[in-house]
Amino acid sequence: MMDIYLPLKRPSWLVDNKRMRTTSDFQWLLSTFVLLYLMNHVNSQRKETPYDLKCTTNNLQKWDCSWKAPSGASRGTLYEFCIDDRSHSCYHLARTNIEIPALSPGDHEITISLQDAGSSTSKFILNEKNISLIPDTPEILNLSADFSTSTLHVKWNDKGSVFPRHSNVIWEIKILWKKSMELVKLVTHNTTLNGKDTVHHWSWVSDLPLECAIHYVGIRCYVDNLLFSGHKEWSDWSPLKNISWTPDSQPKVFPQDKVILVGSNITFCCVSQEKVLSAQIGSTYCPLIHLDGENVAIKVHNISVSENSGTNVVFMIEDNVCGTVVFAGYPPDTPKKLNCETHDLKEIICSWDPGRSTGLVGPRNTSYKLFEGFSGKYVRFKKVDVSANESYHQLLLQMVPNQEIYNFTLYARNPLGRSESTILVNITEKVYPYTPTSLKVKDINSTAVILSWHLPGSFGKINLLCQIEINKINSVQESRNVTIKGVENSSYRIAVGKLNPYTVYTFRICCSTETFWKWSKWSNKKQHLTTEAIPSNGPDTWREWSSDGKNLIIYWKPLPISEANGKILSYNVSCSSDEETQSLSEILDPQHKAEIQLNKNDYIISVVAKNSVGASPPSKIASMEIPHDDVKTEQAVGMGKGILLTWHHNPNMTCDYVIKWCNSSRSEPCLMDWRKVPSNSTEALIESDQFRPGVRYKFFLYGCRNQGYQLLRSIIGYIKELAPTVAPNFTVEDTSADSILVKWEDIPVEELRGFLRGYLFYFEKGERDTSKMRGLESGRSDIKVKNITDISQKTLRIADLQGKTSYHLVLQAYTDGGLGPEKSMFVVTKENSVGLIIAILIPVAVAVIVGVVTSILCYRKREWIKETFYPDIPNPENCKALQFQKSVCEGSGALKTLEMNPCTPNNVEVLETRSTFPKIEDTEIISPVAECPEDSSDAEPENHVVVSYCPPIIEEEIPNPGGDEAGGTSQVIYIDVQSMYQPQARPEEEQEKDPVGGAGYKPQMHLPINSTVEDIAAEGDLDKTAGYRPQANVNTWHLVSPDSPRSTDSNSEIVSFGSPCSINSRQFLIPPKDEDSPQSSGGGWSFTNFFQNKPND
Amino acid sequence: MSRREGSLEDPQADSSVSLLPHLEAKIRQTHSLAHLLTKYAEQLLQEYVQHQGDPFGLPGFSPPRLPVAGLSAPAPSHAGLPLPERLRLDAAALAALPPLLDAVRRRQAELNPRAPRLLRHLEDAARQVRALGAALETVLAALGAAAHGPRPEPPATATAATAATATAAGVFPAKVLGLRVCGLYREWVSRTEGDLSQLVPGGPA
Repeated sequence: MMDIYLPLKRPSWLVDNKRMRTTSDFQWLLSTFVLLYLMNHVNSQRKETPYDLKCTTNNLQKWDCSWKAPSGASRGTLYEFCIDDRSHSCYHLARTNIEIPALSPGDHEITISLQDAGSSTSKFILNEKNISLIPDTPEILNLSADFSTSTLHVKWNDKGSVFPRHSNVIWEIKILWKKSMELVKLVTHNTTLNGKDTVHHWSWVSDLPLECAIHYVGIRCYVDNLLFSGHKEWSDWSPLKNISWTPDSQPKVFPQDKVILVGSNITFCCVSQEKVLSAQIGSTYCPLIHLDGENVAIKVHNISVSENSGTNVVFMIEDNVCGTVVFAGYPPDTPKKLNCETHDLKEIICSWDPGRSTGLVGPRNTSYKLFEGFSGKYVRFKKVDVSANESYHQLLLQMVPNQEIYNFTLYARNPLGRSESTILVNITEKVYPYTPTSLKVKDINSTAVILSWHLPGSFGKINLLCQIEINKINSVQESRNVTIKGVENSSYRIAVGKLNPYTVYTFRICCSTETFWKWSKWSNKKQHLTTEAIPSNGPDTWREWSSDGKNLIIYWKPLPISEANGKILSYNVSCSSDEETQSLSEILDPQHKAEIQLNKNDYIISVVAKNSVGASPPSKIASMEIPHDDVKTEQAVGMGKGILLTWHHNPNMTCDYVIKWCNSSRSEPCLMDWRKVPSNSTEALIESDQFRPGVRYKFFLYGCRNQGYQLLRSIIGYIKELAPTVAPNFTVEDTSADSILVKWEDIPVEELRGFLRGYLFYFEKGERDTSKMRGLESGRSDIKVKNITDISQKTLRIADLQGKTSYHLVLQAYTDGGLGPEKSMFVVTKENSVGLIIAILIPVAVAVIVGVVTSILCYRKREWIKETFYPDIPNPENCKALQFQKSVCEGSGALKTLEMNPCTPNNVEVLETRSTFPKIEDTEIISPVAECPEDSSDAEPENHVVVSYCPPIIEEEIPNPGGDEAGGTSQVIYIDVQSMYQPQARPEEEQEKDPVGGAGYKPQMHLPINSTVEDIAAEGDLDKTAGYRPQANVNTWHLVSPDSPRSTDSNSEIVSFGSPCSINSRQFLIPPKDEDSPQSSGGGWSFTNFFQNKPND
Repeated sequence: MSRREGSLEDPQADSSVSLLPHLEAKIRQTHSLAHLLTKYAEQLLQEYVQHQGDPFGLPGFSPPRLPVAGLSAPAPSHAGLPLPERLRLDAAALAALPPLLDAVRRRQAELNPRAPRLLRHLEDAARQVRALGAALETVLAALGAAAHGPRPEPPATATAATAATATAAGVFPAKVLGLRVCGLYREWVSRTEGDLSQLVPGGPA
């Protein structure tokens, strides 16, 4: 708003009012009151004169001023409008506005007065600063829409001709949509006014397809003139214009088949008369945005790349479906690795890598255009169905005559964008020739051929570089480079020399240009056999005298292919000496041996090989054999496939060395092969496919001197040693009680398969059936092994064996190749007779000695014994009840010990004399009175350990008066003489059981020596053992051997000698040896075992 | 069925009439071809759906069976028509299918140029249905029924127009149209097989 200068100036205090306002509230209220009063006063004055002068401009050239009429003025009131400038112009007018030319900058006094009332005059100060610049309302000339691209095009005129000077204009355009006119977009657009009317265009792409909703467009402007100091304002909005789409009856989805960039946001809408139920893109459902009517839209953010047939967007309507397809992809990548070359200098091929896939196919696929800058030629590339894995594209362009430099630009384009790539090439340096074809070979001679081939292209102005690959069987591949002048007719030929005669060659060729870019592909191979030439060397020759020494056998080897130079047809052999010459001609190949009867003269043997072209130089060898010293046969072992022979340098050997070899089992003359080595060699590795491991070969080293050969060394050897295939055949020569003598035979060489290094002899105790199963596992302690390394030894005595024992013998031979099979045998050693004799004699002698000593003792102590055991007793002759026949002790054969007579028994009293000495022979034991019950089994407990003797009642001779009468019973006490040997410790049960179970003699007394407790027990036992004991059992009156069946059965260590007289009865114990005695080991103990020292041997 | 469907024109209605051997062989051959194409049509439909992207092929998505100009789906009353009439309708439909299948193949060549199998099957389908139609025409002619009965509509021009319309309408309608054509192909081939089976001696009564 511009300021209007009024005649009544505002009081200055009003200006200062602000300063005072803060003084106090009262003052502030007072000031407000005064101000209101004054304003009312002024207004009342204003309404009496013209007031509110306002001036605007829309073109900066004229000002449009208006004022308000005073309150008393009528419609037809005349005004005088004067401008106080230099001209002091006044205008008379009957309205309240006036258009005046724009005033110069500065204040101008304006006087407006009513002409009929001179007092009503108003004065205003008018300045440009108080002027408002308000442009005229713009008008949209045209609003159009491109529905396919959802683009609105707005066209309007800036009416710049009305503005006197250059001005900037800001246009503001608003886009409204839907019937509700929602603001969608408000944009500004800057232009300049150039003094002429200019039509401006502005386009806007709508996110929402234009078909989906009505779109309104309005525009206004703002003129920004820098020279204008007044107030600038926006113009009014132009009248709105709209764009709408008339829908079909069928629902439709927009946009249709659009191609967009991956990652973009896009809005789809469905224009439908019916209600849309849902919408989805692909398989993903999207929320609906409702537009006018039943129209809906969906927004898709960051869309991903589509599959080939596009991404489906589907709107589900009741009983219907409508949809569209969107293709999300990428703009074409910059073509990479653009390369242009030619195969034939006629056509240029440019290829490139299209780079990242656009994701678009078919009509949306990238199209390429190759443009050549100098000639202006171009070709297009359009391949709709390029497969996904086709990484390179290429275009062909015909070469321009006489143009070598080409500037290619490749343009790539698709609906989302474009890209390009350029390359500048000299095409003569980018020749990649086609593959040579029709390769042919033609002979020149046996060592040279001509190669010809076809290579399409116009190479007349350049040279070609070709590479010839020459392959010979079993030879290193050879390549030769040749430079040839290019031709226009595409036919080329060159000569290839330095070939071998009669050799199969395989040729192939590839070419490039001299300014190398790329080799062509190899041509097809062409095989060719060169023609023959005469053999270059004579065959390698050797000779041997036949076994009878009358014939000389000449051997030669077939010439190698490289020397034969063709197919060898025959050989000529001649033997010449000073006296004669013998020849054998036309020996057809493949015979490589000839035999000629010669005397012992020295001959020079000559062998010539012939092919279809001619004969080879002769190969000569002397028949002379130089005598040699004694040559010892040595041994050697090879290295798997060959054998290395070494020798010392011999300066006398001037020709060469020859090593011949043969299988040692072959008969003489023995020759498998030979090999010549130069005279300066000291070693040779002999290899042959005929060598077999485990086969013994003989090698002979000959030295050549003065055309004669002298045997230097003789070697037997193996390429590889193996284990023998058979076991040595061995027999037992001799067997004794403690040794075995074994003898074996040599193994044949063929079966030895290596150098014999020794024998392994195993032996162990064992029977045939058991040992077989056990084998000879290592580490078994019971197997004894003898390693016989002296291979000349053919016998072995095995000593320290056990007699009458079976032994398992095993013999194996071994070489460095391993152990051969084993041969086994079972041998039983003989029995040891001396030991048996000793085993019998010693017990007998001991028994005799004991008997003699006992007899002597008894004799010397007979008085004591008599007093002890047989004191004076009543004469039995006085008693008819007891009559001992005297002849009993005198060796009568009829034994009658006791005779029961029906007499009154006497009491027999034995006087007891107790000795104070601990010696057992001095111990007197009084036997309790033995009663003889009629039925002892009833009277005694079951565990009664002593069997009482009950004399039988012989009724015929001695009628029994009645055993119940104790007073008439004689009591006889028998006392054993206990041996000093104590029985072996035995379990109590056994001790108690044995007497009961034993049927033989039982000692009446058991007298332990040093156990008091046992003494007491023994005394207790004595009570139980009361009764008669038979003093003698004639059947037991012999020496009981420990190994007798009875002894072993009873396990009793007590052996007793009993006397029928009971006077000198003695009991002897033969103490057991120890736990390990043969007796303890079970049955079969013998005196032989008794004398055995070694438990096992 | 206890008796063969058909009118008095049905050559099989009178059991005393026996087909000539070569006609019988032709009917068998045509029926076998129809039987084979029924399987091919099913495979083609599945393969077509496979290449159109979601939601084609998803359960629950069934675009409306829009009418195809020149070719309608077999009517529910088809089974009640006399056999010669049915065969004539079959032949007419088979004649209308090849241009539609060709149009579908052309559109799919743009959309799925990297699906040679689908394109080959569409091409084969057009050729095979053409062969089946010709064979059926031969059978009808042999039966004396070819000249009788109205053809529903001239197929070639209508289907060509349909194909052109689908091409111009946009990709999505073209996809839907292709699906519809493949479905019609399956239905008509199956229908033809069923109708021919009643002519085959020893076929369903």
